[in-house]
Amino acid sequence: MRGTFTHLRRLLLASIVCVLGAAALTYAVDPLQLFRPSRLAFYSDDTRVQNAGLIRSQSYDTAFMGTSLAIHFRQSDIDRVLGVHSLKLAMTGSNSRQQTFVLEQAIARGAKRVVWEMDDFIFVDAADIETDPYLSVDLYRRTTKGIASYLFSAAMAKESLFALLRSIPPLQGPLTRAAPYLPVKFALADVDDIYALPRDFDVARDYNARKALASFAYITAPSRRRFLGEGYGYDAMVRHFEQDAIGLITRHPGVSFDIYFPPYSILQFVAMRDASPGTLKIVTDLTAVIAQRLTQLPNVRLHDFRAIKDVTHDLNNYGDVIHHSPVIDAKVLSWLKSGEYRVNPEAPLASLDALKAQVEAYRVER
Amino acid sequence: MLFNSYPFILLFLPVVLAGYFWLGRRSNLTPVIWLALASIAFYAIGSWQFVALLLLSIAFNYGVGHLLIVAKLTTSQRKAALALGVVGDLLVLGIFKYAGFATENINALFGTHFAVHILLPVGISFYTFTQIAFLVDAYRGQVAAYALPHYALFVTYFPHLIAGPILHHKDMIPQFERAESKHPDAHLILCGIIIFAIGLFKKTCLADGIQPLVALAFEARSPSFDQAWLGALAYTFQLYFDFSGYSDMAIGISLMFGIFLPVNFNSPYKATSIVDFWRRWHMTLSQFLRDYLYIPLGGNRRGRVMRYVNLLITMLLGGLWHGAAWTFVIWGALHGAYLCINHAFNALVPNIPSTAEVPARIAGALLTFLAVVVAWVFFRAASVEWALRVLHAMADPSNIVFGREEIAALVMVAIYAALVWLAPNTQGLMGYDHGSRRVGEALRAGRMRPLVLYAASLVLAFGILGIQSHSEFIYFRF
Repeated sequence: MRGTFTHLRRLLLASIVCVLGAAALTYAVDPLQLFRPSRLAFYSDDTRVQNAGLIRSQSYDTAFMGTSLAIHFRQSDIDRVLGVHSLKLAMTGSNSRQQTFVLEQAIARGAKRVVWEMDDFIFVDAADIETDPYLSVDLYRRTTKGIASYLFSAAMAKESLFALLRSIPPLQGPLTRAAPYLPVKFALADVDDIYALPRDFDVARDYNARKALASFAYITAPSRRRFLGEGYGYDAMVRHFEQDAIGLITRHPGVSFDIYFPPYSILQFVAMRDASPGTLKIVTDLTAVIAQRLTQLPNVRLHDFRAIKDVTHDLNNYGDVIHHSPVIDAKVLSWLKSGEYRVNPEAPLASLDALKAQVEAYRVER
Repeated sequence: MLFNSYPFILLFLPVVLAGYFWLGRRSNLTPVIWLALASIAFYAIGSWQFVALLLLSIAFNYGVGHLLIVAKLTTSQRKAALALGVVGDLLVLGIFKYAGFATENINALFGTHFAVHILLPVGISFYTFTQIAFLVDAYRGQVAAYALPHYALFVTYFPHLIAGPILHHKDMIPQFERAESKHPDAHLILCGIIIFAIGLFKKTCLADGIQPLVALAFEARSPSFDQAWLGALAYTFQLYFDFSGYSDMAIGISLMFGIFLPVNFNSPYKATSIVDFWRRWHMTLSQFLRDYLYIPLGGNRRGRVMRYVNLLITMLLGGLWHGAAWTFVIWGALHGAYLCINHAFNALVPNIPSTAEVPARIAGALLTFLAVVVAWVFFRAASVEWALRVLHAMADPSNIVFGREEIAALVMVAIYAALVWLAPNTQGLMGYDHGSRRVGEALRAGRMRPLVLYAASLVLAFGILGIQSHSEFIYFRF
């Protein structure tokens, strides 16, 4: 009996040693670069986690924020066109609370300029960031809890072990080449590749009118149209905008903000017009408030790309009703550079009025 | 409360174990009461609003059972008492689990707009079934009078309360009555920790690890051929490691208390036929459905046609037991149909030549796995329409993406397939024999002890390191 209790003790002690060993390995390798920057680091597409490390390990003067509409941009393209040293922090499906929190961290670490792709729907749901299950504020703040959850993690231990193996010279080449095709998160050798589409990406296959129209048919089907306006509420969205966007901008008067409404396809608004007119009214009323408020702030330049007919009416630019191709990504950067579609503070609703007229006049060709 | 959580592993379990063995030095009854109270606390931590319902259900069934066992009733009175008990149980289950589903269908049929919003009490399907079995056996005269604390512990016993295994009173209550189980047995505790560690690893590292791939098929609006297959296979493996991981943890925890729980999984994806699959998957549910539904319906005693009808009814109701949705009904119907085809095939081809035995077994295993994967699509999909969309994509090889993400997913699915098909299962590894109440004899004999111990410590460590703050067991919702 005593012998078995000894085995029991040995099992538990060995487990504790394994746990501590795994934590030490993660600390030493630091795949997220939370403790120290590394030239040998690899990067992950899991942006809500990866951003915590990027903010601490990269050097930058400009933070680039947005949702999936901004996820495929390359930092190198942003730098080249806008003449900045950028850090892309866009997160798919993110809300205004998450975006504001991450931007706040980036500004605290030296960002002097923010380029912000702003969707109306980021203001729909803004849960308390302190209890947000999808974004660990503790990891960003590097609290004891955040560091513990990073170090005492099987997933991070696995990533660290893989990074360690990849650093062994004979394995370096093969594992680096194989990494993107293996079930490891930190697989990208270049920070520029985070969520970026491959250079040889077949744009026409994934972005075309057939896909955009299929998406339109899908979201406007009678059984699904109620989802178009799910969660939309004018008062709550204005409140979230004031608290998150205006709050951040006014807390940082020394930081300049280039904020833009992205060029959704016209089908996005037509879908609302046909299937959920109440939602369209909320969106137009909300963006009217946003335009009026932002154009009054001295450190904001607001750009509205929603009424650029050449782009938004050409459905071959879209993979669905909102997501545009990398060709339009490049145009967005050039418009930001030129300021061609900057909203005039004297007439903040002009582009919105043009959009409304386009939406009213548009007829869907099926 | 979740087994895969720090509060459970570091606080709840050690405290309950210590209290159980400390009380066990003084009496044979107080540890049972302690464990029952701890089980109620375990339930209340996550579902406090349903504790009263659980206690009422125990009181009701114990009362009806007591009538059937102790009171001198006539045959018709006994029938009436059984009917009262079973109908009462099914009524509660029906209200909490199926009222919303029934209302939805009435609304769809008659264009009405009734609304029913009732929260599903966690574990209600499991504790209702265990108690129906108790009542039926009490009616059949197969039950001795049990003391209330032992009965209450049988129903609430926290290792099984929320997601099974479905326990049988004849198996459990005698174990609760044994004095020996109240004294710590270092060998059982050691084996229990190792089995718990394997289950924890299965859940936190394997099931939660592959979970993101499921979205490829089930959260994409129009998945491609490869995405649909990868997502469906990922779910196939996720569900197995999630549920069998939970069952292993339940068995391991219970073993620490000196109580042997029945095995719930026996490498189901190695099954060579659908009949074989149901002898290996969620075994305690299969046994329950066989003993308390299929056989009372007539089983195979009333001719071949009635056998198939009974099989279909059993599997349809088995599907509906999993959830109140048409997707589960179709899943059950599919398995019912599979079983009928399997039995019909066995009747038509009773003997396979010995030379064709191995190829036939391989073909049978592949076909069975394929059929199971197809059925899981309905089990997982949010709606029948969504399931059909995934199946349509799985049948359309002209649309293939096979990009970086899909290749990485394929590598992962291949690793999981190798684990499922080539690795031994937990009871095989640990020599767990529920029937003869034996476990870890090889470990006790000293063979391979250091290797087993250090491998187990690594598994336990990674199981603990894999704990995430938001990870529920799939079977909690059934």
